[in-house]
Order: sequence, then C-alpha cells, then structure tokens
Amino acid sequence: MASQNMDPAAAASTAALKGSETSGSVSKGSVSKRLQQELMTLMVSGDKGISAFPESDNLFKWIGTIDGAQGTVYEGLRYKLSLEFPSGYPYNAPRVKFITACFHPNVDENGFICLDILKDKWSALYDVRSILLSIQSLLGEPNNDSPMNSAAAELWDDQEAFKAHLHATYKK
Amino acid sequence: MTIVYNLSGNERGAVNAAGTVKSLGHSDICTDEVLSDALALLGNHGLGQYVEGWLLETLQVRLTTSVAPEFWTELKQPEGESQERDRASALLKAFRNLLQQLEPFLGGLERLGSWQDESRGGLCGPGARGLTERAFSVIRAILLFSPPLVLQERVLEFYSRTFSVHMSQAGEAVEAEEGTTEHDEGGLCPGCAALLHLCWCQEALEQLQELSHILSRLQLLERVSSEAVTSILHKLIEQRMEQRCRGEYESSFLTDFNDWLGQVLGWLSRVFASKVEEAGSDATPTDGKMGHPTSALLQRWHCHMHQFFCRIYVNMRIEELFSIIRDFPESIPAIEDLKFCLERTNQRQQLLASLKSAFETRLLHPGVHTSDILTVYISAIKALRELDPSMVILQVACQPIRKYLRTREDTVRQIVGSLTGDAEGCSDLANELSRADPVTLETQDSEDEGSDPEDWTPDPTDALADKTGSKRRSSDIISLLVSIYGSKEIFINEYKTVLADRLLHQLNYNTAREIRNVELLKLRFGESHMHYCEVMLKDVADSRRINTNIREEESRLPVEEQATLPLSAMIISSEFWPQLKEEKMELPAVASKAMEDYTHRFEKLKAMRTLRWKPHLGSVTLDVELEDRTIANLTVTPIHAAIILHFQDKGTWTLEELSGVLGVPQEMVRRKLALWQQQGVLREEAGGRYVVQETSSCRERSDRGVMLIESDEEGDSNTATQSEQREEKLQLFWAYIQAMLTNLESMTLERIHSMLRMFVAAGPGVTEMDVNELQAFLQRKVRAHQLIVSTGVYRLPKTTQ
Repeated sequence: MASQNMDPAAAASTAALKGSETSGSVSKGSVSKRLQQELMTLMVSGDKGISAFPESDNLFKWIGTIDGAQGTVYEGLRYKLSLEFPSGYPYNAPRVKFITACFHPNVDENGFICLDILKDKWSALYDVRSILLSIQSLLGEPNNDSPMNSAAAELWDDQEAFKAHLHATYKK
Repeated sequence: MTIVYNLSGNERGAVNAAGTVKSLGHSDICTDEVLSDALALLGNHGLGQYVEGWLLETLQVRLTTSVAPEFWTELKQPEGESQERDRASALLKAFRNLLQQLEPFLGGLERLGSWQDESRGGLCGPGARGLTERAFSVIRAILLFSPPLVLQERVLEFYSRTFSVHMSQAGEAVEAEEGTTEHDEGGLCPGCAALLHLCWCQEALEQLQELSHILSRLQLLERVSSEAVTSILHKLIEQRMEQRCRGEYESSFLTDFNDWLGQVLGWLSRVFASKVEEAGSDATPTDGKMGHPTSALLQRWHCHMHQFFCRIYVNMRIEELFSIIRDFPESIPAIEDLKFCLERTNQRQQLLASLKSAFETRLLHPGVHTSDILTVYISAIKALRELDPSMVILQVACQPIRKYLRTREDTVRQIVGSLTGDAEGCSDLANELSRADPVTLETQDSEDEGSDPEDWTPDPTDALADKTGSKRRSSDIISLLVSIYGSKEIFINEYKTVLADRLLHQLNYNTAREIRNVELLKLRFGESHMHYCEVMLKDVADSRRINTNIREEESRLPVEEQATLPLSAMIISSEFWPQLKEEKMELPAVASKAMEDYTHRFEKLKAMRTLRWKPHLGSVTLDVELEDRTIANLTVTPIHAAIILHFQDKGTWTLEELSGVLGVPQEMVRRKLALWQQQGVLREEAGGRYVVQETSSCRERSDRGVMLIESDEEGDSNTATQSEQREEKLQLFWAYIQAMLTNLESMTLERIHSMLRMFVAAGPGVTEMDVNELQAFLQRKVRAHQLIVSTGVYRLPKTTQ
C-alpha cells in the first residue's frame, strides 16, 4: 500500500531536480485526465444516492451529493460535500468536507470528516466514487471510538432520539 | 383662310401671299420663280418668318381632319371575312395614299428648308433637316398618337407572311423538310400557304419592298414595324426552340440557331430595305436620318435578335434544368449552350430560384430514395460546375439538398456505401475516390497559393454572404458530400461501421478490397483518421494467422482429443471496432466447449489476453442427416444451428422448452424455426410442438431447392445502428446533466452546454452536441417531467431529489 501512495513521477523528479516546479505542471495534465476519467466512471456507473460534479470549469474542485442510505436515520436527507483535489492526486488524498451541516459522530461542526481512507489509509486505487460510497456508509455506521462530535456519539445509541434531533437540526 | 390666325386684318396682302405659298403644296406647276416672288412679297411685309409655322400648321390640320381618318378607314376597308392577300394590298394601298397625301407637304418643306439653308429672301430657320424633322414629328404624333389595334394586326400579319415567304425561299435547302411536309398537304405554297397556282409570294415580297419604301420615306418605319418585327421574332424563335430544343439536351443548338438567325437577318434587311436604297441613291445632305448606315441598323437588330434568342433559350432551359442535371453528362451540350446564353442575360437569380424550387418539389420529398437524391446531387455538382465555374450557383441552389440530406438517416451510410462501391448503380463516387488527385479536406488556408492577385475575380452578387470565401467553395464532389455534415468524423465512423459489417459478414479473412478502400480514404482524410480502420484490418489478418496456428496445434493432438467442432475465430480488438450488437443466447455444450478450448489455446499464444465470444455474430456450416436424406453444406446463423443441434438429442421440443435451453425469447425461437420448417427438417405439430421430419412425406417441398434465405432477418447489420449509438450518446449526456444539476442545483442552457463541452471525455463516437441540439434534448426532458425550466434556468424536479 505504501508504495502505491507515492507518486512515482513526483518522487523521481524531486530526486533529480530537488523539488523544482516542473513536476507539478507536468503531472497536472495527467491529473486532469484522471479526474476526467473518474467523472466518466461516475456518470456511467449511475449509482443511486451519490453524485458529484466539478463546481465550475475547475476540474480540481467538485461538489458532491450524498443521500442518506435507506434504513438509516439519515434516510431522506441529502448532504452536499466539497471535494478538492491536490495536484498530487491520486497519490495524495483529496480534501473532503461537508457543506451541509451534518450531525454525525465523525463529522465536526465545520464539516470535517474523520474517515481513515481520507487520511492515513488513502490509496491511489480509491476514486471519487469509492470516497462517496464510503462516506455514505459511514453515515449509517459511525465509528464511535474516536468521535469528533461527542454529543452525537453519545446520542447514537438511542436511534429514535438521534433521528429526532437529526431531523430537527437538519438545514438544507 | 383663317388658319393664319395671328395675322391682323389690315394685312390682306400677306394673306394672299400665304394663299399663294399654299398653292405650292397643291401642284408643282408653280415654278421656282413664282415661289421666289411670293416669298419676296412675304419678306417685304416682314412675314417671312411665319411661312414655316404656317406650313407645319397646315400639315397638322390636314392630317387631323382628312388624311389620318382617311388612312384608318382605308386600312379597315376589307371588313370581315376578307382574304389575307386582300388585307395585305389594303394595307399597302392605305400607306400608298398616305404618302401621296403627305408628299406635297414634305416636298414643300424640303424646299423651304433648302431656302432657309441658303437664306434666300432673308429666310432663316432650322433648315431642311430641322424642318423635315418637325414635320415627321407632327406626322408621327397625329397619325400614331393612339393607333387602332388594326394597324398593328395588319402589319404583324403582313410581316409574318413575308417572313415565311422569305424563309421558305432563303432556306429552301435548309428547311427542306418543312417545305416538303407542307407540299404534301394539298399542294400549298410553303411561303404564302396558298394553293400553288395562287401563290403570291413574289407579290408579297414586292409589296413588302414598297411598304418599306413608303414607311421609310415617312420615317415611320421603325415606329410601325419595330413592334411587329419584335413580336414576330419572339414568336418564331420561341416556336423554333419549342420544336427543336425542348427536351433535347444532347446536341448544341448555338450554331444551328446562328445560321438560322442569319437567314432571319436577310428578311430584316428586306423589311428595312428601302433605307439601303435611299442611302445608296439619295445621299443628299437633306436626307435627315440617312446618316444612319443601314448596316448599323441591321447590326442593332442582329444584337436584339441575339438577345431575344439568349433570353428565350435561357428561359426554356431554366425550366428544364432539373432534367438537364438529371441527364448529365449526356446533357453537356445543353449546359454549354446555357452557359453561353446565361452570360449574356441577367437571369441568374431566376435560374437559382427556379432550380431551387425544382429541387424542392421534385427531389426533396419522402418518396425519393436517398441514393437517388445523392445521384442527382452528384450530377448537379458536376453539371453546375460546368455551368458556373465560380460555384456560386452550385452552392446556393444545392443548399436545400444539403439541408434535406442532413435530415435523412441513411445519408451517411449511402455515401459511404457508394464511396466504397457497394451501392448498386452509383459508381460515381467510387470512381471519384480513386481519382489520382485527391483534394485534402482540411481547411486550406493557403491564401497565397500561387494565385495571381491580378486573376482575382469578385464573386457574383448572388453568392451566399458567408465567411467561406470563394477559395473554399469547393467543387470536389467528395468534399462537398462529406461537408454536408460539417465534419468528416461522422463519415469515418460510418465507414468504420460499414467496414466492420463487411468484415464480419464475410468471415473469410479476405481484405484485399477493403485495404484498397482504406488506402484511398487515407489519401482523402489523412492517416490519423483512418487509424481505427487499419487496426480493424490488421485484426483480420492477425486472426487468420492465429487461427492457422491454433488449427495446427490442434491437428498435432491425438485423434481422441481433437475438437469435435472445427472452429475458427475472428479476433477483434473491442477498443477499435464499433460497438457490436449484443444478443444473449445459450450455446449448446459442444460449441461452448470448443470455444473454451480455443480460448485456452489463444491465451497460451498471447499471454495476458483472453477472448470474449460474440457467438451470435458467427456463422455455422453444417450437414443435416436425416433418415432418408442429407442436407449438406448449409450455412446458417449460430442460433439456427443451436436449435437444430438440440433436436439431435431429442426429437420433440416445445417452444417453451427451446426458449428455456437457448435463453432466447420464444418469439425469436419461433422465427428462427421457420427456416428449418422451410427446409422440411422440422414440422410443427398440435400443441406448439416441433418434431423432426425424418422421412420427407412431402418431398416436392424440400426438393424445391429454394433456399428461402432468412426473410425474417431484421436488418443484417452486425453493428449498432447510428440512431442506437446516438441514443447511447444522449444517455451519457443525460447522466452528466443530471449529475451537474444534482450538485450545482440550477444552471442555464449555456452553462450546461459549456460544462458538457468541458467535461464529457471525447471518446470515439461521442461527437459534440451543439447548443440547439442540446436545447431540444432538454426540452424533451422537460416535457417528460424529468427536468424543470423556469426563466431560462434548468433544475431537476424535487421528486428525484
């Protein structure tokens, strides 16, 4: 896994050129290509409940949409996220956060998400689709061991109360 | 004598003198001296200056009161059912009298004029030329102010007669056939159409000469005869053209008509003959208009005539242009004639409008097959580039065709088909393609490509005002056809499809012809565009090699391990071939086993690769052995083979059972069974059961030997059709649009369009969509309630959120 998280081009060129600027611009084209490809995959796959699209003509900033999965307390709620891709993508993880306020044990009040695959467990094999699917499943299955929102974590066990609070505070 | 009303009563002498002067008009007894005396007397009374006015006045009064009415009654004389010949003489007589009446005045005026010229007796004035000019104006004004129709009729009739007399005499040799036919019809003279013994041709010509003489003396010639001559010429040219040229495009008529016009000119010179004589004999300076050389007059008429001819010819050909184009290249002579004439008349607009509407009414409607439209379009290109080298007519007139072709679904396929010489009857394009000088289709922006600025000619005014200059107005047929759609990608894609179809249809690895076509197309479209096709051809060649390899390997196996089913595969690279139709079906075990084996061998041969079979695209050759007969070497589709193979194990199947084992809908099975029923191999029994007919009870049926080739096959293309591809493309677009609206809430048409442009990865077959197309598509979605639009902003409906 670790080796996959290295950008071979970047690694090679930093070694050779001691961090010169060229590597960024060279890789930018291939990153765009990859993102374009991911967009295509996402479009073709036609998954229900997740969706994403570049925000403007900048391919490196996307808006994502997740519908709460059926059978969870989040059912019927729709969340917007922002995805920002670093120039080292896919060797570096994208920055993903909720735009819509989300009451969830692993999401803080600023929308930051505590999800392993967005941090140390990131791999170049992941893509936008898998990120969105992971976040969608995280909604239903929070990791209550390391909560960012302890109130939510405490309330989680009482699903009825959690749902009531969630829907009461949900603001589109 | 109250005519000279401006004289006062005490000047009686002057009145008398005036009376004397007038007598000069009545008879020529008066000698010069008498007149001179009278003039001197008038001069003494200071009345010299009135002579002129008085004389003209008299002429005028005389004309109005007696001469003109007399003339008209005389002209109408032979009332009712009179002979043409009588009418002709009446006409002449009327003019003869007219001249007689007016001659004294003219003589008098001439004399007065010459005196004025000499300033005899203190006379001064405009002189002979001026005076006669005035007199003629008066005559023209009074006589022809509003001439009754009868004059025109008579003149026309008379001229027509003399014309035919002249032509029959002048053109005896040339017009022999006309003459003889008329001779046969009861011995009529070809000239005067009278019985031969009553022929008055000669008389008519003499009358013509006299009439011309009189008219020219009165300077009425052009006034009286121009109209008649013009209309005669018009009528006759038209008549002749109807007879000779209409519907006849394969020979040129220009020289023929020129000869004929030469003859007509002979007649014209007779009509205007007297001028020749007068110019010859009476070349006095007093002769007012005679400064005109007759040749100039005739020259003018010749020009007129030529103009008539051109105009009439162009009119007729414009009407017929569609047929001419259709008959191209046999109609080249007509095109050349038309080109010659069109340059001399100003009728391009008329031609364009007429041709356009002819195209629209005769060609561009659903009843015409696309290949016919293309054939006509190609002919039009060829014909119109002959007609108008600037290509403007071509460009403008064919605009509707191009527009229309764009709406036909099979246009591209037809064009590609005929490019590769597949389409029947339309080898033009194939020839065009193999021509040695391909014009590259790239936009040639080579402004200074050796063309001399001096040679530049402006576009005709009717050129379409678009950005493409004359430079880009191509006459290359293939470029024109390809540019119907604006891009060659569509054609290349279509060609790919056609190529795939052909390769998959033959299944015999024979690609010599396709290679040739691809090479030719490469010359046209450039190497890079034909890359996919090259790969396809290479696939076929590789397949052949791999097949041989695998076969060899198989043959080395011990006999018991050898495949029961000899299988050859066409191995294609899915990335490069057009999308193939998907059809699901369960193959019989023996077939799938053979395929598996083949796949294993292939995987050994080509590491890291595998095969994905498309069984429905293959073909199977089999023998059917029945109890009493064998049907050998039958080539059928895999599904047919699969069906009959199942009957090998079990003699009776129902439709449901077959559908079950094959994994194919019943309807399809039933259709496929038809072939075997036709072959007399299977029989349908009560209860929807099919059984094998081991002994052929009805031999004659199977012996008919008529292979009813699958009439049930729906379109035999193996590749997804254009519209299917298009549908798929739209589906992809829709996914993108939904995604962007889900995430970005609401967007305008322009923004959606630009987003699509930016983010839809341009795969093969994904061509751009223009704004209008997109708008239409979105509009459809709005109607289907899949989209909401308000104030130009699109959003997804709430329900899907």
